[in-house]
Amino acid sequence: MSAAGESEEKTAGNSELLERLRAVEGIFSVPRLTSDDVNVPMIRHWCQAMSDHNPVYLDADAAARSVHRGIVAPPFMLDGWLMLGLAPRVAQLSEAGEPVGLVPAMEMLDAAGFTSIIATSTTHEYDRYLRPGDRLRVRSAVTRVSPEKETALGLGHFVTASTELIDQHRERVGRVELAILKFKPGTGSVPTDFAGAAAPPPRPRPAISRDTRFFWDGIDQGELRIQKCKGCGTLHHPPVVRCPGCGAYDLGYVVSQGRGTVYSFAEIHHPQFPMFQYPLMGVLVQLDEGTRILSHMIATDPERVEVGMPVEVAIEAVEPDLKLPLFRPARPPRRETTLRFSEVKVGDRLAQCPVPITTTLIVSGAIASRDFEPVHHDLEMARQRGLPNIFMNIMTTGGLTGRYVTDWAGPEAIVRKMKIRLGIPNFPGDTMTYIGQVHAAEQRDGVGFVEVGVRGFNQLGDHVSGTLELELPLG
Amino acid sequence: MAISFAGKTAIAGIGATEFSKHSGRTTLRLAVECCDAAIHDAGLTPGQIDGMVTFTLDDNDEIDVARSLGLKDVTHFSRLPYSGGAACATIHQAAMAVHTGACNYALVYRAFNERSEMRFGAGLQDLPDSPTPIMVDFGWCLPFGMLTPASWVAIVATRYMHEYGATSEDFGRIAVADRKHAATNPKAFFYGKPITLEDHQASRWIVKPLHLLDCCQESDGGQALIVTTLERARHLPRRPAVIAASAQGSAEEQNMMKSFSRPEITALPEMGICARQLWAASGLGPDDIQTAVLYDHFTPLLLPQLEEFGFCKRGEARDFIKDGAIEIGGRLPINTNGGQLGEAYIHGMNGVAEGVRQIRGTSVNQVPDVENVLVTAGTGVPTSALILQQPG
Repeated sequence: MSAAGESEEKTAGNSELLERLRAVEGIFSVPRLTSDDVNVPMIRHWCQAMSDHNPVYLDADAAARSVHRGIVAPPFMLDGWLMLGLAPRVAQLSEAGEPVGLVPAMEMLDAAGFTSIIATSTTHEYDRYLRPGDRLRVRSAVTRVSPEKETALGLGHFVTASTELIDQHRERVGRVELAILKFKPGTGSVPTDFAGAAAPPPRPRPAISRDTRFFWDGIDQGELRIQKCKGCGTLHHPPVVRCPGCGAYDLGYVVSQGRGTVYSFAEIHHPQFPMFQYPLMGVLVQLDEGTRILSHMIATDPERVEVGMPVEVAIEAVEPDLKLPLFRPARPPRRETTLRFSEVKVGDRLAQCPVPITTTLIVSGAIASRDFEPVHHDLEMARQRGLPNIFMNIMTTGGLTGRYVTDWAGPEAIVRKMKIRLGIPNFPGDTMTYIGQVHAAEQRDGVGFVEVGVRGFNQLGDHVSGTLELELPLG
Repeated sequence: MAISFAGKTAIAGIGATEFSKHSGRTTLRLAVECCDAAIHDAGLTPGQIDGMVTFTLDDNDEIDVARSLGLKDVTHFSRLPYSGGAACATIHQAAMAVHTGACNYALVYRAFNERSEMRFGAGLQDLPDSPTPIMVDFGWCLPFGMLTPASWVAIVATRYMHEYGATSEDFGRIAVADRKHAATNPKAFFYGKPITLEDHQASRWIVKPLHLLDCCQESDGGQALIVTTLERARHLPRRPAVIAASAQGSAEEQNMMKSFSRPEITALPEMGICARQLWAASGLGPDDIQTAVLYDHFTPLLLPQLEEFGFCKRGEARDFIKDGAIEIGGRLPINTNGGQLGEAYIHGMNGVAEGVRQIRGTSVNQVPDVENVLVTAGTGVPTSALILQQPG
């Protein structure tokens, strides 16, 4: 179920409003120039926000040697090019001179009290990759308006718009279909804190002695420390008071890189204590430095936990005054070479990838996609609009989803389509984890066509699910 | 009556920290320092120490002291009660241990911050209390939701399955055997209630891979036994269950259920220490054992127990237990009273009593021609074991 909780609960609604909305359905605007040509500064800004290090986007030499023969823009930026940023919204006109597209539809809905907005799904089609200097024109139409619906967020209308992007050679380079919910704030059933229940009772605190204080001081400072004997250099965890190897009492510590593998794990079901959430995945991690540490996992699909799985530490404030070293799946390294089609088969799984959701990620992603909707950067406005916090915009979700798949596929994979549907929003402080699986792989028209299904879930539920279609080199 | 070891043992080393009003160090650190000094004074190395005796009241657990000192195999550990009344009792106990050969060099210690941390005495209440070593130890698992023994055992079980290919059904075979024996034991909680492997597999998860039926029950009750010399026992009404051998064991990097810093976590070296001592002292081997009472608080840990005693090779216990081998009529019937899982959980003492019944011939699930019974104590912790035998 999406956060919008789309249901078939039609209300009596306002049939006159609906008629006016539907009057613009299907009517495309006259193509207009985007405010900027495809350019490197925007590409850089996007890649930094998304942590997308695919060299074909920014490394001129690598891009020149690649199948693209030069720098290309991340395909997932597609609708960023047509965004107006903070420029005033101006309705686009049809050939007949009528205001059409999303702007008049939004104005009608705003006037009727449906002032809040949340994107629910988007589909991108990439006819070709864009290059710096491409000059784009866009034409768009509202393609569908739903009757008034009762959703978890409130009373609202679902509006779908389709936009085509055309280049300087008058060739179509891409298409974006975007579905949004325009709703009346405060009319929904979702509690504004989204978490629902009152704060649970506190967890048992670690007992800290003089001998172990160094460890917990480290955790407070965001460090995972391992005791190290100053005499012989042996590492000890849990800490000792005297090195059993050389007898030294002078014991220091090193800061662990925080990476390791699952040595063993145990999914706890019963009994259940009120300060934890179940099932709880207890884990014994073997740190790369050699010592082991007991903890629990976060941000993982429990089905995917196995002995040997790479993990990384996440020092989290589980309560305002309690930080703990928890573990999440390690972000898989970006493939430096591109997967060959022959290396892929249906059912192959992509390694889990955690994405910590920070305020900086939400805001930088929104600005990099030129989306200045206040709900993505202004806490007060988000609350007024019925959400408990600022939340990630759909283009950032798309950028991260695309990065996840292309990090797996390799720098020269050609993405042709991305289709995503949003669920629970991504709020700051949470972690979203991607999982993926190859759904289809077949040779078509001389290319290796692959379809990958992906899902990104956070603590509250599924944030995004969708598919990407891409081409891999044959052989 | 006079002790047989009068004049036969000696105190060979002494060591202490400074005595102060504010040590500025944890009690564990004080314990390790004074032990270090005593070991040095005796001209020994920590690896030679194989016995530990202290007060029941001492906060410094043997395993924490042993870990920082670097002790190896420990074959005797005991504690004495009643506060200051234990001061000479510890020496008395240590003397008995070394005289009998239970250990060679016993370390006796007592360390506290009884002034700066005010553990006893009503006096001032406002001085800071430092957590005891065991509280610190729990601090490594409780905040992470690893609150129960089942969760700690599950970590071992998952790794055992990974290393040796054991499955939940292998663990289930232990539970089925226990419950089969309990079903015919009127004293057992599960009297009349055997289970099948399907029942085991269908029982709900406690901590994966442990099902409910992999875990022993919780019980109220008391079990007591009388130990005396064989000579005296022959004059008493019951057939004596001779203690052919008994042993304790604690190994390197020992913890309470969470010995996770060892290179391998799927063995039970502390039980191996007991096994070696039992075989050496009794002159017996696995083939001489007709029935065994193996501690079964959680089924997975029976597999490494069988391996440590040499009933099968490491990693092969799952094959040993197949096809009814551990049920009445099999090669090695175990827990003929139903075990901790089937009869009751009286911390293993009811298991010792069942061993006695097997020697006397009075068990409800009597194994024919029993000569020797192996009994083990709790696994995952410093432990013990014994062999009971027919009187000659």
